[in-house]
Formats: sequence, structure tokens, C-alpha cells
Amino acid sequence: MAKIAITLTINGEPHEALIEPDRTLLDVLRTDLGLTGTKTNCLDAECGVCTVLIDGLAVNACLYLAVVAQGRAITTIEGLASSGDGRALAGALHPLQEAFVEHGAVQCGYCIPGMILSAKAYLDDHPRPTEAQVREALAGNLCRCTGYQKIVDAVLAAASRMASSAVAS
Amino acid sequence: MSTGTRVAGQSLPRIDAPGKVTGSAVYAADFALPGMLYGKVFRSAEPHARLVRIDTARASAMPGVRAVITAADAADVRYGAAVKDEPVFAPDVVRYVGQPLAAVAAVTLEAAEAALAAIEAVYEPRPPVLDLAAALAPGAPLVHERWRAYTAIPILQRDGNVCNRARIVVGDVERGWVEADHVFEHRFTTAMVHQGYTEPRAAVAAWDSSGQVTVWSNTQLPFDVQATLADILAIAPSKVRIIVPGVGGGFGGKLRIGVEHFAALLARKSGRPVKVMTTSEEELTAAYPRQGTVIELKTGVTRDGRLTARQGRIYFDTGAFAGSGPGVASVATMVLAGPYRTPNLHLEGYAVYTNKTNCGSYRAPSGPQANFAVESQMDIIADALGIDPLELRLRNIVHEGDEGPTGQVLTAVGLEECLRRAADAIGWADRRPAPGRGKGLAIGWWTTTGGSSGVYVKINPDGSVTLNTGAVEIGTAALTGAAQVLAEELGVDLADITVISGDTASTPFDFGAQGSRTAFAVGNACRAAAAELQRKLFELAAAHLKTTEDALALRDKHVVGPGGRVSLAELARQSQVSGGGMIAHGTFIAPGTAYDTKRVEGHVYPAFHSPSFHAHAVDLSVDAETGEVTIHKYVVAQDVGFALNPIYIEGQIEGGVAQGLGQTLSEEIVYRDGRVLNANLTDYKMPTTLDVPRVESILVEHPGRVGPFGAKGVGEPPNVEPPAAVANAIAAAVGTRITSLPITAEKIVLAHSRDAAGGTH
Amino acid sequence: MSRFEYHQPESMADAVDLAARFGERASFLAGGTDLIVQIERGRAAPGHVIGLGRVPGLDRVDVDGRRISLGARVTHRALERTPALAGPLRCLVEGAEVIGGHQVRNVATVGGNLVNASPAADLVPCLLALDGAVSLVGPGGERELPIERFLLGPNRTARRPDELLTRVGFSALPPRAATAFLKAGRRRAMEISVVCVAARLVLDASLERCLEARVALGAVAPTAVRAHGAERLLEGQPVGGEAFRRAAEAAQESCRPIDDVRASATFRQHLVGVLVRRALDRCVERARRAA
Repeated sequence: MAKIAITLTINGEPHEALIEPDRTLLDVLRTDLGLTGTKTNCLDAECGVCTVLIDGLAVNACLYLAVVAQGRAITTIEGLASSGDGRALAGALHPLQEAFVEHGAVQCGYCIPGMILSAKAYLDDHPRPTEAQVREALAGNLCRCTGYQKIVDAVLAAASRMASSAVAS
Repeated sequence: MSTGTRVAGQSLPRIDAPGKVTGSAVYAADFALPGMLYGKVFRSAEPHARLVRIDTARASAMPGVRAVITAADAADVRYGAAVKDEPVFAPDVVRYVGQPLAAVAAVTLEAAEAALAAIEAVYEPRPPVLDLAAALAPGAPLVHERWRAYTAIPILQRDGNVCNRARIVVGDVERGWVEADHVFEHRFTTAMVHQGYTEPRAAVAAWDSSGQVTVWSNTQLPFDVQATLADILAIAPSKVRIIVPGVGGGFGGKLRIGVEHFAALLARKSGRPVKVMTTSEEELTAAYPRQGTVIELKTGVTRDGRLTARQGRIYFDTGAFAGSGPGVASVATMVLAGPYRTPNLHLEGYAVYTNKTNCGSYRAPSGPQANFAVESQMDIIADALGIDPLELRLRNIVHEGDEGPTGQVLTAVGLEECLRRAADAIGWADRRPAPGRGKGLAIGWWTTTGGSSGVYVKINPDGSVTLNTGAVEIGTAALTGAAQVLAEELGVDLADITVISGDTASTPFDFGAQGSRTAFAVGNACRAAAAELQRKLFELAAAHLKTTEDALALRDKHVVGPGGRVSLAELARQSQVSGGGMIAHGTFIAPGTAYDTKRVEGHVYPAFHSPSFHAHAVDLSVDAETGEVTIHKYVVAQDVGFALNPIYIEGQIEGGVAQGLGQTLSEEIVYRDGRVLNANLTDYKMPTTLDVPRVESILVEHPGRVGPFGAKGVGEPPNVEPPAAVANAIAAAVGTRITSLPITAEKIVLAHSRDAAGGTH
Repeated sequence: MSRFEYHQPESMADAVDLAARFGERASFLAGGTDLIVQIERGRAAPGHVIGLGRVPGLDRVDVDGRRISLGARVTHRALERTPALAGPLRCLVEGAEVIGGHQVRNVATVGGNLVNASPAADLVPCLLALDGAVSLVGPGGERELPIERFLLGPNRTARRPDELLTRVGFSALPPRAATAFLKAGRRRAMEISVVCVAARLVLDASLERCLEARVALGAVAPTAVRAHGAERLLEGQPVGGEAFRRAAEAAQESCRPIDDVRASATFRQHLVGVLVRRALDRCVERARRAA
């Protein structure tokens, strides 16, 4: 089949691509659009490093066809920092990103973009989770370095911070 | 924890965190160059065969294919860490399913995959050697018929399918059996397991017009890969440049050449940059996993629980090529001795060839396997003698000034403190708090691997400091730790330091991210560089402040003297104008550890340098009907010497225990007839958030003499004790002793029913 | 070059037309968590993929009196959040919430799970225990099929190539009824069941005797199966103790597990006995608590 022209709305910006319909969203993001913050590994929905948000829900981009993602709001890790261009300007990090830095939750870092997005999707829906709920929310994101403990701590800390600033504002 | 130090010893955020949390950090798997081709490797479908013919004509003609290479395109070179037995592509004999036979490069990954499908290989199968028993049987077929002709480390004891036999002999075990009141003999087995890094191995290679190749790779040992690749390409090492952009986990699986040679060869043939990346299937069939083992352990004790003798044999199924087998077999003998006073020892480690993927080094190589045997047996002994397992260990552990198994003198021995504090934290007094619930202990020791590290440290005219190191950051935050040491010595903040790392052309030699050595060695190299910088700074400052050098000190980003102070920035500026810049070279190599050479044979690792000591304790319940294990509490007490950065050391412990629990309860690469049955992450089961308990880390500090501020290596040890600790707790909980890893629910249920029915196992 | 041609019909009629046109060469795409995996691994190679994302009406949950109907495109996530399923019907939620991680449950669908018909699927035994029936729409019209007759073998169903599975329906539970779902695996998440069990019990007014029983097993036969022998031993019997033990034994005898890399047949058979007994106990506990 000939390539088709699609427009993907990523982090609020339209991105055009000319692709075969069997291309996955993960591949289009990384190869065509140069957005390598979303990672590649098992290509089997088993490890979660490719997690992106689609209309606010966590999804494995490795099994999601790019054509199906048209018309939906796609969020990648590059879209999380409030400066929008992914640079770590002081104060520009999302509370989850800040918490991951402060709590020693980052080791090799390869699982982290997917982990942060899974956490964000969950916190947006459940602002005051218990530890058990956070673990359950992240069960689809494998980490081999941290043993998950400081990741869980960081998510709980971010939840507190986000909840209290929500109250304040 | 850290008194008197300002930066070193503080739980400061790692310097590379912002790039990682924003997705802007680039890993080798992310790296790309314009015009790049995609490479894929064609791999053997037979475990043992003569390669009759390989036909790549159809593949070469396919759309988008720009290069196809086979053994004919690579120099007739064999490589390997201990025995040079491994070719790039099998030229004639194929020795495992997954062995590379050819490679293609094409304009898209899909085109490369289609080309692979068009390659035809014709095999003449031979009887495969499927396991240790088959390999060691009298008259067994040889995995390597021409083993004698291979270049190997001279001291290795090689013979047929055995690519090394390492041995430690102390005293006379026969005398030990006589002195013993009881002699215990047990056999243990462990499975092959994979490091499970989440980033696949990846390399991008590009040649320039001067005949130099640059390879961006996620290797842990850029200088080792440089040397191996130079051999394979038949060019001078200085013509090979390895750059490590970022590594998504290694754990030893990314030490040796993985895909760099395919990328470089394809790039040379096609004239374009080429990227090669492994799939999960390739990782689980053709990587460098941890060897499966069989362990035979015989230990003599007096009736009051003193060890009189130990005889141990551990056989490593190291696969089709020696890989790290010979070295791992050596280290194993040190682990089999354990941190115990035992007057008579006869310990052997065998690395054995089979027709399976060649195995390598995985975080504390040989540690979990040998420790599983030693610490399980200690509990069996304790139980049989009616002695508390904690007490049995206390009666036998080494103390300050004792000898290690090869005669090295042990110093900074924090073992007793670790053992007591771990037992205390788990509530050892109440060992069986409820039906189906029990607690287990395991202790061990480990090394801080030597090797040299060099750094350049530059103070910039704006007052910032650049640390230029050949080391690689694989996720442990070791380079943050080293930078903390540097900041401490120079009187600056961690935030003032920028790290440049991992480029064989522009960074000094480093022995690599292995053996828990990076923070230790690079930290010490930084101290050497800082000392040299201090000399240069003081020379300049003395003139500036009109005083003598011995009246000066480094403090708060200044050189401070009796009459005033001058900033490092100003001195760097001055030096740049008149002296070529404020830069120093620092090197470090760990001093050798003296040992008794008469005690060892075939041994490539005869002493544990700056050894660490540790104790693990676990409290768990077992559902005897389903075999499900629920861990309530897990405690680690680890003698780290000096905690350079406590939060990241905790991270190593928490992560190491999680990884160790995977090896203990759920992970195994399953082979049948030479083929892997579970080469995917659905069926290679790594722990998720719901499978890992919280871990309580107790950082014990008995400062060593060599490491920066007394630090010891910390990364590998947490992988060592989980299997034994869990096995001991399960035995305490339901009275069932499992002697093979992984300890699956199925094994627990079947053994438990057998025990209940009065059977033996 | 694309491995398949992609179609995005905007009505059920168009979707069925495409299926009729391409037959065996086409696959419907719902969440994609089974189909895309199979295509990537080379285990399926449809020349045409018919995306269902724009076909209206397939993602509805309809509660009509005592009848509940789940559209084929209802996701596992949506199942977990459906109030009508939160009470006695909760085995369905329990089966849904253990599949994969959130990423999979956010897109994987009930219809996809049924059509993929993995012998180890978690939702399918739950639907069997609820006497679920699927609706299939083809060029000739709509037909309903009880799930037990819909499942033919591993990854094989009675759906004809020109038929679209549109929904699955089952009845709400009568009073004094409860369901339970239990699963065993080697780790606590991201797990393909080694064995799973779904049970439904309806108790009498005294809450001491079983009026109606359904026991369904997963991962121990070529398809998810009802343990009819166990059910017969439960109906009319006092709950607990002896009856449950005999039913569990009967369930063990009725399954045909295999040895594979996940577990041995012996162990699977053992687990069936344990999980059936526990699922039945849990049903009783739940029915009594609700009363």
C-alpha cells in the first residue's frame, strides 16, 4: 500500500509524516520525528519503556499504529517540562520530574520516560494514591536498576506536591 | 553517616538526572547519523553443525540492501576475554543456535529483515553437547576440536571441553574430615539468567576518509572494545574510536563486543554509517548471560559448629565460547570459601563448553551461584546440629587481620557488624513468627576490582571544573560519586563540575565499568589530579598573595592565605594566559593484594581487593498450596567502607536485591535440545513493581585503606545473597529445602508434597 | 512497503462489507495488543487490516433490565470502571484488572480477547462462568452464540471470516449470588496465567446450599472450559467442606493441561484443585457478606 499522509498532534504541536500504515507510533516518533525520549526495547508490550499518553491514557507505542493515533492528543516525555522544549530550565520541570531527581529514583534512566508518563496518567486520575496503588499503576513498566523503591517514593512525593499546589491554586 | 566532609558522603542528586527525566539524554539505542543504514545479523539455526554453505546472493539483490557480509569479509581472527576462541562469523563449524553467520545492511530495518529471510544456510548437523553432564562425560564430543591451538591466558588449566579449572588448596581436607564430627554433602544447581537491561545493545559505526572508524556504542568497556575491534578489522587501535553516548543498564552484559563489529564491518563494506541493535530474542539467545551451574559442596564441622574443612566443585556451563567462564570459575572459588575461618580447603571452579550461547559476566559473576550453595548448606548444618543459624555464622566468620582463602590479610572487616545489625533489623529472635512464615539469613563477601583509571581535570576561567574520564556511567551514579570526591578535594560544589566521559580518542584510559570499581578508581584518580592541581594553584597563588605555599589552603572555590584569597577562576584565567591552562592528569591503579601463590592454580583472580562484607535477612511467608512466596521484609547490611553518596548506594542495594530476587524466584533461560524456549519478555519473567518488597539498607562503614575516604565497591554485592537468604527463609517457613534456582512455586509445592508424604529429595 | 492495507470503515455495514470482500485475508483491529504482536512476530500476516476505531456503537456498555451487553471495543479499563460490574459480577473486573499493565488494559478490548481466544485468556473464563453469549454480525445478519460454542481451539473461534463480533452479553445475577476470579502465575503482574479459575454460585435462602454453580478454567485446555462435572457436584449440595473438595477434584479431572515453559501439567492440575476450592469459598463469603 502507498504511504499515507498523517498529522500527529504531539505535545500540542502538529507533526506531519508520510508513512506506510503498518508503522507503529513508536517507530514514527523515533525515526521520522526524531523524538527519541520515548524508548525502544521489547516491542512486545512487556517492558513499558515505550509508554506515551494518548488522550491522557498510558499506552505502549510499540503496538499502537501511527494511523490510529491521528486525531488524538499524544503526550511524550518531551512535552512534560513546562518550558515545552524539554530543556531542564530551573523550575521548568514537571513535579514528577523534580521528584524523580530529588529522590534518587533515576539510575540508568532508560525506563524513566515511560515510568514518569505512566505515573502522570495515574496521578491525573488519582491525585492521592497509596503506595500499593502507585505500584499497581507502574506494574507495566519494568525497571532493572532501581528495584522500584525510590521511584515509588518519588511518585508519592510528587502526588503530595501536586495535590497541595492544586489546593493552593 | 559522613562527618567532616562537605560534598563526598552527601546524598546529592546525580549530575545526569535532568537529561534523563526530560528524555533529552541520548543513549546508544537513540543515536543516529544522516544517511545511516540498518544492520541485522543472520544467525545459526543449529546448535552444532558443519556449515556446508551459506548463500547470500538473493539477499544481496533485494531492494534496499547495500551490503552483505560473511566470514569471508572479516579477518580470520578469534577474540575472547580469556581464550581467543570466538570468530565474528562461524567460518566452518557452528556451535550454538544464534551464532552469527552473516550480516546485512539496508536502507530500512524492514528491508534488512527481508534480506535475512533470503539468506540460505545449509548445515550438516553434529551431535550437540547439551549440558554439563554431556560435556564432562568420558568420550564426550568436543565443542572445540582445535582447543589446543587457541591463544589463551597462560595460567589457565584447559583440557578438551574444560576451558579452565581454577583451584584453591589450603591445608588438607582429609585431615579436616577426620577432625570433623559431622560431614555434610550437598548438590545445588542454578539456571542461566540474563542481565535484563532495558536498553538493547546498539552500535552505530561510521568510517572517515582517513581510514578511522568511529563507533557509538553502549559498551561498558570502550577501551576493551577498541582493542578487540582493531583486531577484527586488522587496523591499529588508534584508528578505532569508541564513543559511549549513554548506557541504559549493563550489569556486565555490555562488557564485551556485542554488535560493534557488525556495524563497523557493514559500514566499511557499504561506505555508509550503519546501526545495529539487538532484539529481545537476540538478547535471550545470543548475549552474555550468567552461567548456569552445578555445585557440589562438602563441609566438615565439629559438634559445636566449627568448620574444619570444605571441599567444593562448581561447574559453570559457559556455552559455546569461553567468554568470561575461566575468570568466573576462579572468582567462584573465593565465594565458595565464604568469609569464614576454615583451616582446610579444596575448592575448584570449572568453566565448561557446551553448545549453547556463550556466557559472560553478570553483576557479581559466580557470586549468587556459589553463595547459594555455601549459605544454604550453612543453614542445613545449623539445623542438623541444633544451632541457631546466626550463632553458627558468628562462630566461624572472619575478623580483622584474619586470612582469606588464598592467604591475603583481611582488613576493614565489617562482617560481624553487618550480620548482627541485619539479624536485629529482621527480628531474628522470632524466627518463625507464624505458620508458613519464616526468616532467613545469608552473608558474603566481594571484591573491588582493580585496573587503572586516568582522568584529566581542568579548572575553567569561569570557575567551573571539567572532569574528563575514560570511564562510563552505566547508571550507578559512580561518576557523580567520583565528581563528589573531586569537589571535596578542590573545595568546590558538585554543581561546579561537568563530566566528559567514555571516548577512547579524547579521554584517558579506564579499565571500564566492571567489578564495582568505577567510583573507587576514578575517585582516586580525581584525588591524584586534585593534588597536582593544588600544587599548581598554590604555586600561582603564593606569588599572587605574596606568601608561601605551605600557608595556603583550598576553601570555598578560593585559595586562601594569611593575607587574603584568590578565586580558582582567577587563577585559571591567569594560567590560561601565561601557563597553558589549569589542568592536571591524575591516575590510579589499585596496589596488588599479597596472597600465597602456592595455594592457587589456574586462578585469574587470587585475591579480593578492598573486600566488602554483607549480610542479607528476609522475612517471608509461603502459601504451601500454591507455592507463592510473599516477602514481608528484606534487610541488607553492607560494609561500604565510606558511603560516597548514600542515596545512590541505597539505590544499588535496592536494585541489586530486586534483580537478585528475580534470579531467585522467577527467572531462567530455558533450553531444550540446544534451543531457548522462552526468548521473549513474556516468558523470561523479570520482577515488576508488585514483585519486589521494600528493602531496608543499613550502610555499615569500616573504611578501607585504599578507596577514596575509605570507600569500597558497592554495585555488585547486593546480587550475591538473595538466593540463599530466600531459600533459608523458605526452609524456615515451611520446612522445605529447595536446592535449585529459580525457586519457583512449582518446585516448592512439589517438594513440599514430597516431604509431607515422607519422601526425600 | 506496508505489510497490509489499512481500512477505516465508519459504519458497521461498511466494516462487514470489507470483511466479506477480503475474507481470510483480513483481520479486524480493535486495541491491537494481540494482532500487532502477532504481525510483528510473523505469526499473522493479514493483507488487510480493518480498524474498528470509527465504527460507532461498539464501545458501549448497555444495561437493560437484567441483561448486560458489552460492546466488542469496550476496553479492560472501561470494564474496571463500569458500576454495573462492581458488585456480585465482579469476577469480570478481577479478570480484567490482572491483564498486562495499565498500558495494555487501556486499549485491549473484550472483543479482541474473545476473538484471539488464547487458551490462557483471563476474561474468557469469567464470561463463561456468566453464561456469556457473543453476537456476530455478517452479511446475512446477526447471530448469537454461547461462548462455549464460540471457542473451538487455541486461537480458533466459530467466527466466520466475514463476521464481526459486536458484543458479548450475559445476565445480571439473582440475589444471594456471587462470583470470584483467581489466577496463578510466576509473578504478580504482567503475567499470562499458569492457571485461572472463574466461579459463580447462587445460594439458597439459608445461604447454606448451592442452587446453581458455574466453574470455568483457563490455561488448562485448548480453550477456556467449563468444569461441568464440578458444577454437577455442587448444585443442590451444602456449600463448603466435602462438596467443594469433591468439586475441586472433579475440576482437576476435567482439565487437560500441558507441560510448557511456564509450568508442568502436574502442577497445573494441582493448582486447579486449589484455586477452584478457594474461588468457591470466596463466592460463599461474598454472597453471605452481601446478604
